[in-house]
Amino acid sequence: MGSSKKGPAGAGGSREAAGPGPSSAVPRPLRPPAPRRRGPGRGMAAAAGAVPVAVPVPVAVSGADAAGPGEEAAGSVCPGPARVARLPLARVKALVKADPDVSLASHEAVFVLARATELFVETIAKDAYVYAQQGKRKTLQRKDLDNAIEAIDEFAFLEGTLD
Amino acid sequence: MAERPEDLNLPNAVITRIIKEALPDGVNISKEARSAISRAASVFVLYATSCANNFAMKGKRKTLNAGDVLSAMEEMEFQRFVTPLKESLEVYRREQKGKKEARKDKDKKADSEEQDKSREEENDDDDERMDEEEQNDEEEVDN
Repeated sequence: MGSSKKGPAGAGGSREAAGPGPSSAVPRPLRPPAPRRRGPGRGMAAAAGAVPVAVPVPVAVSGADAAGPGEEAAGSVCPGPARVARLPLARVKALVKADPDVSLASHEAVFVLARATELFVETIAKDAYVYAQQGKRKTLQRKDLDNAIEAIDEFAFLEGTLD
Repeated sequence: MAERPEDLNLPNAVITRIIKEALPDGVNISKEARSAISRAASVFVLYATSCANNFAMKGKRKTLNAGDVLSAMEEMEFQRFVTPLKESLEVYRREQKGKKEARKDKDKKADSEEQDKSREEENDDDDERMDEEEQNDEEEVDN
């Protein structure tokens, strides 16, 4: 007898009515969700727990949709090409500090180093790709890199360091 | 913590992205190649630092500055990097200056906000922007 049957709650149940107020609320202009940056160094043990210096420019630039794991890149002032991928200055600084002869490096020095490293990565990738093309491949492989290092003088400093 | 300097790797995601942007569409990169490039990048930083430090020491300075790094690039036979680096540096300097001024403005606006209620909407937008500017200045001393 006492089986308390509850009627189907779903039908017609208006869960929207939070308060007794009038249902027609003044429509607020929807604001685009602020692109929150992911926490520093997701999954990566950032040296000394440093926060990657993201570019905190107010305007959210297309292309930096705050997706993608571990992407530190944020919108840049001028939405130009190839300006978005930025290596975290904190990591670069950690490498600089690893040199026992170096005492201090200025902000700008670390920045220029980071930027130079980006250019370096671009360069070596392109140079290695030439060898992949020769081998009629569309996938860059380790041997392409080795070939590039051997052939190109500027990369001589890398010999023996990648193994 | 890293045992050796070369083990301090730069984040894979960013490295991969730079590589992909440098190569034509449709080109892939094997894991070994990518990790080798990442390692090469770390070695590059170490080598460039060491070179730059030589210039700093020549100038009897203890702090590496941007000029030292640029000189290092030339020394390392990466002269073609110098011009784009100088441009990036200019942009960076302007950004830094803009940040400082934005901070000053923020303080000013905090005061005027109380007086100006009619401009609520505008200020709301500004506040949102200000929240985004999570500054985290490095501790190094600028030269």
